[in-house]
Amino acid sequence: MKVALVGQPNSGKSTLFNAVAGYRSLTSNFAGTTVEYTHGQARVEGMVLELIDLPGLYSLTPTSAVEEVSRDYLLGGDWDVVINVLDASQLARSLELTLELLDLESPMVVCLNMMDEAARKGMTIDTHALEVALGVPVVEAIGARGRGINETFRIAEEVAKTGRRPRAFVYAPDVERVVGELAGKIAVRIQGEAAGAPTESGTRSPVSGVRSEQSGPSPSLDRAAIACNGGHCSSACCGHSPAMEGQHGPRGMAAVAELPVQPQTTPPLANLHASELQSPVTNHQSQIADFPPARFLALQSVQSDPRHIPVLNGGVPSGPWTPDSGPLDRARKEINLRTGLPADAAVSAARHAACLTLFERVAHVARPKADWREQLDRLAMHRIWGYAVLAGVFLGFFRLIFDVGKLGEDRILNVFDLLVAVLTQHMNPQSALFAGVKGAVLGTAGAVAIVLPYLLPFLVGLAILEDIGYLSRVGYLMDAAMHRLGLHGTATLPVLVGYGCSVPAVMATRILTSRRDRFIAAFLAVLVPCSARMTVIFALVGFYLGANYALGIYVLNIIVVALSGAILARIWPEISPGMLMEVPAYRVPSMRVVALKTWWRLREFVLVAFPLLVVGSVVLSLVDFYGWQHGINAALSPLTALLGLPRSVGLTLIFGVLRKELSLLMLMQALGTTHVLGAMTAAQILIFTLFVTFYLPCMATLASMMRELGWRLTLAASGALLALAIVVSLAARGVMLLL
Amino acid sequence: MNLYEADDQAELRILLITGGWEVRRSFNQIGIQPGDRVRILRRAPFGGPLMIDNKGTRVAVGKQLAEQIRVEVLP
Repeated sequence: MKVALVGQPNSGKSTLFNAVAGYRSLTSNFAGTTVEYTHGQARVEGMVLELIDLPGLYSLTPTSAVEEVSRDYLLGGDWDVVINVLDASQLARSLELTLELLDLESPMVVCLNMMDEAARKGMTIDTHALEVALGVPVVEAIGARGRGINETFRIAEEVAKTGRRPRAFVYAPDVERVVGELAGKIAVRIQGEAAGAPTESGTRSPVSGVRSEQSGPSPSLDRAAIACNGGHCSSACCGHSPAMEGQHGPRGMAAVAELPVQPQTTPPLANLHASELQSPVTNHQSQIADFPPARFLALQSVQSDPRHIPVLNGGVPSGPWTPDSGPLDRARKEINLRTGLPADAAVSAARHAACLTLFERVAHVARPKADWREQLDRLAMHRIWGYAVLAGVFLGFFRLIFDVGKLGEDRILNVFDLLVAVLTQHMNPQSALFAGVKGAVLGTAGAVAIVLPYLLPFLVGLAILEDIGYLSRVGYLMDAAMHRLGLHGTATLPVLVGYGCSVPAVMATRILTSRRDRFIAAFLAVLVPCSARMTVIFALVGFYLGANYALGIYVLNIIVVALSGAILARIWPEISPGMLMEVPAYRVPSMRVVALKTWWRLREFVLVAFPLLVVGSVVLSLVDFYGWQHGINAALSPLTALLGLPRSVGLTLIFGVLRKELSLLMLMQALGTTHVLGAMTAAQILIFTLFVTFYLPCMATLASMMRELGWRLTLAASGALLALAIVVSLAARGVMLLL
Repeated sequence: MNLYEADDQAELRILLITGGWEVRRSFNQIGIQPGDRVRILRRAPFGGPLMIDNKGTRVAVGKQLAEQIRVEVLP
């Protein structure tokens, strides 16, 4: 049995999911997209459920790729029941999605999560009244404390088994009448298409079912055709008797009355029996004849962007569900005429009005007590003190990461040093095998001892800041400043984290919604000197040329970051008009959520970056063993000559890609001395450091960039960084020649 | 008057959301609609976003978007 979890962002949907599916869950991409969702098996009170945790969405009318893919998944019907998770403390707003889901007229359970939060806000909710009004079971829950979770799943299972299908909520008559007419036309068209081209109805593969519709009409359409051609469809079956006066009504009554062909489809109940006979356990929506309901499709078409052809068929521009543009245009004009609003605004206003009416009927809000969280926000979001708090939080955060990291790094490195010593005793140090093994050990050491001790506390800290709700406040505070870099406030974190380590910085770009923002933020984040590059800057420039020069590199870097941001914003202009973000109430972080988030992010890093680091390290060991460095230095000689650097530093630049601080260690080895100033001039040291600061990111960073941005953008970013490093170094060389 | 021009802490009613389909949709998604009563709680410096209260939900609205909302002051 497949259960889809649907809810708005911050509704606590994932808490529910984690409580039952936990560590066994998997993250996958929707077929053909980069949109991720989590799925897993859960055993709840003896039943085995297959859970699909869709990304948080505010509405089924998509404005982003995430929402589009999630909606298409729901339309694909590859599920048995929907659990709609709501933040009870945000009931009025959350109900909008609930009403949209009801338009799907499919088995559904509402989970009123965060009831404690609602109580704290002075809200009392009449759950029973809500249940009656919505026509679906409503379960109260406090997910963070594990309350109501099992009950939610148990009731969901019951609902799925009985296939109880709710009726859609009826909106304002002006809208409803026009939408009903359009729905009738869509239904006729579906029947026409299905009857004209009957295809073999096949079972769909999970999730990819969303895309498989591209090849032809979906099984549910075929079933619609078969059922209707078989003569089961009569006008009587199309209208439901109203369950609640004034709230629920028959779908598309106007259409029934006015259209010559009987529209709509089979009665839900008859159809349900049919599918139950076939498979007593599952009740896939894709096997239900009138799924998705014509009224839902009509509403979606009316609400979709009028500049585009409505896309309602799993990404197919003109599927059998899409109404002709003629009737749709007429419907839009009609709604506009009746309401004086653009059609999409009229539909959302109608739904909004329905939500507010419902909210006022079922919820009572007392004046909330002024609590400490409001006081905290007065400080944390203050126009002056807010920034002091921000600086304090980030300094403390980095301090903690470095202290913990350093502690771990030294200890773990000692272990690996010991291991190398043991290997040297037991193997022939002159053999290629030894070189390879040593490379593997050192590569593992780099991953385990150098990256992990910093990454782990960082990921824990990030998850805590996220769960508390502080990150959105950072976004609010930094929005104006980040606009100068062509980004929004939410991109602050990745860029700042870049000063610590580029790997988590790139991973942190995931909090950004658009691909463009992710790319620009990742690019700027890797441009910022990470702690490994800081070592190089201080050990070379700081030590040989003085602290002022080292500081100068940081200042220069900030200028380059600002310029790059401005240029990138020109090349790839912003589409979204600005920040519009919910600022959630502060919450006590749930350790379980923090642990799970950390684990998932860490697992990705381990899977992607570890193998690369180890293989890269082995290759470099072998290069060293066979003495290929001369060839590499020769190959890189045009670059080193251009920058006016000694030929022997070529290889160190390759090592720097493996791990930034290696370019420092290898420099001393390549020059054959620890007194760098003897072997290189001050100018050469400065140019070398500048180049190392700006050129390619290290291999672990490249791996995480590939993961987050795809190889094309990673390649583009690498090329741009290399070019940038050459330009900056050459400019520095020019300036020094003039001086 | 648009939302960005309104005074902090004043009780406001949203009259109209201008600026096309995407702007309307994104406000709709976050639960902001014409007719709603909102209040500006605070604003970030240097032309930064506003933080508004809408039926207990806190929303940060960037300057450009806030300028797309026409409001009236409630007595």
